[in-house]
Amino acid sequence: MAEENNGKMSRGDNWLKLQDWIVEKMKNCDGALIPMDPENIKQREEPELDYQFFLENASRTMIRFKRPERLIRMIVRVLDEQVKVTHTAMLMYAKEKDSFVLLDSKGAEGTKIPVGFIRMTFDNPLVRLFHERHNYKISETGAIGYKELLDVLQRDEDVKNDEELAELIGLSIKQMELLKATICVPIYYKKGLRGVFVLGKKLSNVKFSRQEISFFTTLANDVAMALSNAELIQDLQEKIFEVHSLYEREHRIFIHTSISLAAAIDARDPYTHGHTERVTRYALAIAEELEDLPEANAYRNFRETLHIAGLLHDVGKIGVPDSILNKKSQLTNDEYEKVKEHSVTGAAILYPIRELGDIAREVRAHHERFDGNGYPDGLKGEKIPFIARIIAVADTFDAITSDRPYRQKKMAEIAIQIIKDNSGTQFDPIVVSAFLLAYRKGKLANSV
Amino acid sequence: MVRLLVVDDEADICDFVKKFFKERNFDVEIAYDGKEAIKKVESRKPHIVLLDIKMPVMDGAEALKAIRHIDSNIKVIMVTAVEDVELAEEMKSHGAIEYITKPLLLEQLERIVLTVAEQIKMAA
Repeated sequence: MAEENNGKMSRGDNWLKLQDWIVEKMKNCDGALIPMDPENIKQREEPELDYQFFLENASRTMIRFKRPERLIRMIVRVLDEQVKVTHTAMLMYAKEKDSFVLLDSKGAEGTKIPVGFIRMTFDNPLVRLFHERHNYKISETGAIGYKELLDVLQRDEDVKNDEELAELIGLSIKQMELLKATICVPIYYKKGLRGVFVLGKKLSNVKFSRQEISFFTTLANDVAMALSNAELIQDLQEKIFEVHSLYEREHRIFIHTSISLAAAIDARDPYTHGHTERVTRYALAIAEELEDLPEANAYRNFRETLHIAGLLHDVGKIGVPDSILNKKSQLTNDEYEKVKEHSVTGAAILYPIRELGDIAREVRAHHERFDGNGYPDGLKGEKIPFIARIIAVADTFDAITSDRPYRQKKMAEIAIQIIKDNSGTQFDPIVVSAFLLAYRKGKLANSV
Repeated sequence: MVRLLVVDDEADICDFVKKFFKERNFDVEIAYDGKEAIKKVESRKPHIVLLDIKMPVMDGAEALKAIRHIDSNIKVIMVTAVEDVELAEEMKSHGAIEYITKPLLLEQLERIVLTVAEQIKMAA
């Protein structure tokens, strides 16, 4: 490390010490720390550590936090320790009380104004002085000193000629006496007064320097900025919530539309009553066992896509004539071919809806076989979309366990055996294992 | 010198109010609960008592009765949270001369106590 200044600490050391110091402060005020860029700090001229430097940097990082109270508490704490004044306090506007109350306060016994003890309303002369911006007539920075106020009242001709202002200043002096304030710094936000930063006397009895006062004004601006940021964050969170609820609502409408559509399809086919609902339920139960797989994670929203695909997997049956759907005897080859068209028809129905692009793909493939002998595209293995592979198992399980015109009702055990026997040929073995697991857990009970 | 007894379980408040009225030429004593307040009333014979309603050991309502029992001339001013205004109103019917709600307006606290002190000086 380069020693540039004889006898003085190098900047690197300075930086380390600074960082430790801030971390320690932050611990005390229950805040988090965003690491700062040492490069920015090195640019400063004086290598000495000073509290203003610390506080400025610390508050810059804290401006971004959701809770400006943390910044305020930290400022009060650090000033109390570093500036060595009789007392410091931060009055902030509290909406629910419609007055200014102490957010934090420090000081020696008896001098410290107890938090929660006092309040100031907009009738308070000192509050009015700041709120109505008379303070800028007295000081450039807006910060008000007790002596300054006395001085203005006694010597300023403009003030002497303005009776109302003179009275307000007189009453403000009285207020500062009540608070034993030497300096009051206003915090403005959105054109209104939001807080007043109160400082007592320096223990050394030395006057506050111009530089110090302007520094306090900077801190007040930081607090205002923190308040503004907190409000922005709050707004943003509300917007996000709003968008989320809209999305939820839209999603609910969509699911319900899908359910209605599925019910309409089911209604045409009395022998498969409730089929869609059951297949969806089974598919969701199987999917629960598969949620950790990369295949599932590859979907933007696995569960939701599966849910809708399940509900709409047979939507293409709209294109299959009633005569075929309701036929009690074995289907002819031609009739069977017509039935097989339903997966392609379904995909064609869903495809134009952009948001359902993914689902159309699943619907189209739900009769594909793992060994490539399915329809309509003869996809094989991993080429078959994952959700379609799940629906295939759920679909078969329901077909066997529920009444169909062309097949006797069979027991679940038989269905399980058939699915097991066709694992790796008709079905994806992973999906079959998940299916067996779900079945053993009792998740595939046919309750409808 | 007017003697003032400040009764509050919060030390910060006691210290602050004590210093505040000392600077306004009061002889100020402190008590942190109702029981201690009664002892101090007996030993120090205050003219005015600033009495917090919510306190441990013995609350302000009970302390008020006891103080009035010892000396009904003592001017008791209740200090209460805004939520307990009804209770404070009731205290007035039990002999408290006034009540102030916390968080309070410092000038109001000053005005009420100084006014009562003036009356005491006039009567003396």
